[in-house]
Amino acid sequence: MSATTKNRVVSRASANVRGTARPPFWTTRRRDVLTGYLFIAPQLAGVLLFVLVPVGLAIWYSLNDWNVFTGKQTFVGAEHYTALASDPQLPSVLLATAIFSGGVVILNITLGLLIAVLLNRRFRGATLFRTLFFSPVVVSVVAWTLVWGFLLQDNGGINGMLATIGIEGPNWLQHGDTAMLSVIITQVVRSVGVNMVLFLSALQGVPSQLYEAARMDGAGSRTIFTRITLPLISPTLLLTAIITIVGALQSFAQIAVLTGGGPELSTTVLVYYVFQQAFEFNDIGYGSTLALMLLSFVMLLTLLQWQLRRKWVFHEQ
Amino acid sequence: MINARKALGALALTAIVGLSAACSGTAAETSGPAELRMTVWTSNEAQLKLLNSIGDAYRADHPDVSKITFESLPFADYNTTLTTQIAGGNAPDLAWMGDLSKDLIASDALVGLTDKLKATDGWQYDDLLGSVTAEYSRNGTLYAYPFSNSPFALYVNTDLLAKAGQKIDPATLTWDQVAAAGAAVHEKTGKAGFVIRDFDYKSWNVLATVWTGFGAAAWSQDGKTCTFASPEMQKAFSFLHDAAFTSKAMPSPGTTADFFAGDAAFTIAQVSRASLLTGSFKFGLHPLPTGPAGKYAVLGQAGVGVLTSSKHQSQALDFLAYLTNPSNAEKLAQFFPPPRKSLLTGAKLAANNKTLSAEQLQSVVVDQLPNAVTLPNHTSPAEIAQKGKTALDAMWKADADIPAVLRSVCAAIEPILAK
Amino acid sequence: MSSESLNSLARRVLLVVALGVLAIPFVVPTIWMVAASVKPLPEIFASPPSLWTDHPTLSAYSEAFTFQPFARQYFNSVYIALLVTLITLVVSSLAGYAFARIRFPGANALFVVVLIGLLVPSEVTIVPLFQMFKRAGMINTHWPLILVTALAAPCVLATFIMRQFFIALPAELEEAGRLEGLGRPGIWWRICVPLAKPALSAVAILTFLTSWNLYLEPTVYLTSPELFTLPQALTRFTDAYGGEMWNTQLAAATMTVLPVLIVFIVAQRQFVEGLAHSGLK
Repeated sequence: MSATTKNRVVSRASANVRGTARPPFWTTRRRDVLTGYLFIAPQLAGVLLFVLVPVGLAIWYSLNDWNVFTGKQTFVGAEHYTALASDPQLPSVLLATAIFSGGVVILNITLGLLIAVLLNRRFRGATLFRTLFFSPVVVSVVAWTLVWGFLLQDNGGINGMLATIGIEGPNWLQHGDTAMLSVIITQVVRSVGVNMVLFLSALQGVPSQLYEAARMDGAGSRTIFTRITLPLISPTLLLTAIITIVGALQSFAQIAVLTGGGPELSTTVLVYYVFQQAFEFNDIGYGSTLALMLLSFVMLLTLLQWQLRRKWVFHEQ
Repeated sequence: MINARKALGALALTAIVGLSAACSGTAAETSGPAELRMTVWTSNEAQLKLLNSIGDAYRADHPDVSKITFESLPFADYNTTLTTQIAGGNAPDLAWMGDLSKDLIASDALVGLTDKLKATDGWQYDDLLGSVTAEYSRNGTLYAYPFSNSPFALYVNTDLLAKAGQKIDPATLTWDQVAAAGAAVHEKTGKAGFVIRDFDYKSWNVLATVWTGFGAAAWSQDGKTCTFASPEMQKAFSFLHDAAFTSKAMPSPGTTADFFAGDAAFTIAQVSRASLLTGSFKFGLHPLPTGPAGKYAVLGQAGVGVLTSSKHQSQALDFLAYLTNPSNAEKLAQFFPPPRKSLLTGAKLAANNKTLSAEQLQSVVVDQLPNAVTLPNHTSPAEIAQKGKTALDAMWKADADIPAVLRSVCAAIEPILAK
Repeated sequence: MSSESLNSLARRVLLVVALGVLAIPFVVPTIWMVAASVKPLPEIFASPPSLWTDHPTLSAYSEAFTFQPFARQYFNSVYIALLVTLITLVVSSLAGYAFARIRFPGANALFVVVLIGLLVPSEVTIVPLFQMFKRAGMINTHWPLILVTALAAPCVLATFIMRQFFIALPAELEEAGRLEGLGRPGIWWRICVPLAKPALSAVAILTFLTSWNLYLEPTVYLTSPELFTLPQALTRFTDAYGGEMWNTQLAAATMTVLPVLIVFIVAQRQFVEGLAHSGLK
């Protein structure tokens, strides 16, 4: 097989060498272009079929009412969009979404950076700690959340531990504020390992001469961090911020397993609300409308971050 | 627009089918004998064995049915799963149903059963108890056979009561006495007083086992008006709130206490839960305590029906008539309290029950069924449950404004009731 | 001088202690899960909490297999995750290579189109996808889980990682390949892919974990217990009346977590370094 291919290549090459009047149609350039399209075809088809077409369909669904039991659909125009304005639950849902995503991003980036900076001091045991901090990343989300659910019960392990040092812990999952705190912490502890590793490798990429030079100029460690380290790892910071926030906006399993969106609506984030409307209340039209709103948030945030990146990030190739 | 959508759909479809054709080995629908599938939520081996044996016996006489599968779906999200199956064009032929029944009946997704059952020789339609068929009927037609009618009862851990020095008289027991004894048990042993099983500060509809005794109801008979803010309901919730936060007779939110593991003095649960008793403590089983509104009974029901989307409707209907005929109904009665008057005697029910005596079954099942009310049931059950729960969450704080919370429940669910 | 070294020793001890305290929430839940899974039911909520039990039992482990077709569900999760990873590796390294090294008209625009796939949350597309797969007769099969994960958002992230990696490769390598008579496919397969091991392992890890953790999709697409995947199965350990089966659930969770955790600990260097070189920086 490969022999015949080679022969063909050789014969074609020799045809070129002979320099006949008409140049062959399949020049290297043309072949390259075709290969390029062929190479990206599966990925492009996947995105078209499983992302863009569904988004188009979602727009259509948002203009219709469906009865899932009978499959009947009626065109209702912009009704679901006006319903957004009068949905009494939506403001709480948006607030919960903002607190959750904001909380996760801030805590995740800060904690990830803190651990990375500490581990970057290269001491004995650093690898062990890196393994420990990373380990929740490979633990199944549902299993991880289930276990935290046990530990966060009023008579569960966390309050038991707190009791041994004389603190009476709150009833974590039963009050809005502590429930939100619980889902944020559960999510951050599970996933911060990824950002930690990315930050670590970014920190190790900072040339040590820069530090030495700064120290010679008499800069303190805080100045070095804010004037040298932070600017140099800012591309990593921004990229991880985007990935973390898009991930936070999509956190479904954590909420579904830990709080079911409660108490009241305190942890009902938009993603969970979409699921409830579409698959529990069977209101596919309204569910699609909410989903499109979620999509516009993600798009807006990304655009915003891209603009920031232009202004703020120092070295961009 | 429609054309564009169709075109997109077709494009998508071709691509998916193209991608899958190579690998998927699923056989196409074949004509010939019918294969029936029935979804159930039990995964209990004995129950599935009985169902399968009835299915096998039916097939022996009916060559037009080649296979009957009982697919057991997880109880926790049975409704969502069944709905997804129906919406996904993968509906079963027959299905068990709980509070999804009203939605299914309202959208004409169920086949009327009355004519077929009346026409079946020896089926004895008049044997059905009127009080248990109402939930599954519309305009005089029955849409699901209520195979399980399990009243709620009071389970008592008599060992725990004795340990705390408490005595109760089941004949005259009131809710106040249960709360007092429960609070005393909690005080003295640290175990829980009374637990409304499965409530867990989420599934509020089981609280009907309490509020019915106070003369309250979630909504009016026709299901159109919310009655959550009534004075009776306020009294019922004052009682529950007091038990959770003042007397501590009921475990507070976020505390886990399992009666059947010996963690509580009382529990309200369906009679069918008696199978969870392990014999590690002495127990008593009594009708629900008397409330301010007098004696009352509440039951949880399950029905089985045929879906209109079934490709083999007539075979499915015929199998349902067989599954529920008097002799099979008697077999099913060992697990599920039956809807047939002829089977509803303490002795008959006790014949197949290892945990409970004839007297117990007579008093907690047979005597209760004729006047029992069902748990609140309405169309859009998931939405009502969630909106109601969201509003009720404000109740479970020590300083809750009970009347205001109850009004907010009505505000939350009334738009759904009115649909 | 000696006071300074004492100072640095104290700092070092302080650092280790601080990290140790910080590590508690990262480590204790997993240990607690394993410990609780062998406890008799009433002890799980015993107060004060303890990691030790005098009556260890494995009954919850056998219960996990009899209550649900757990072995089957385990197999489902493993084979789906492996298949998805394999497809993603091929698709993303092809696309990443093309976007990085081949110049063709519209490349930048198409790359942006592909990147959009990363931004659309799966909750937006799941309802329409459900309808599409319904028409294709693929509801209650594993196809939606395989196809969407292997070709949509998770694969886009992979393509991005691969592109970042290939962009950094020196052009001389390709020149050398071309002189040897290799075409584009040859250069991709013989030269670039073997060099891309760190990026490929990052892609493999991320993709495997994404597929392994899928929860919304199986919840929506799968309705028969023998087709369930692990995350979905874990939340279904409730008895016939909705009561939770705590210890069985914990035993199943332990079985889900431990193998992956062990693989990670054994190969942690490759894991972490693969990720560090993913180009996501």
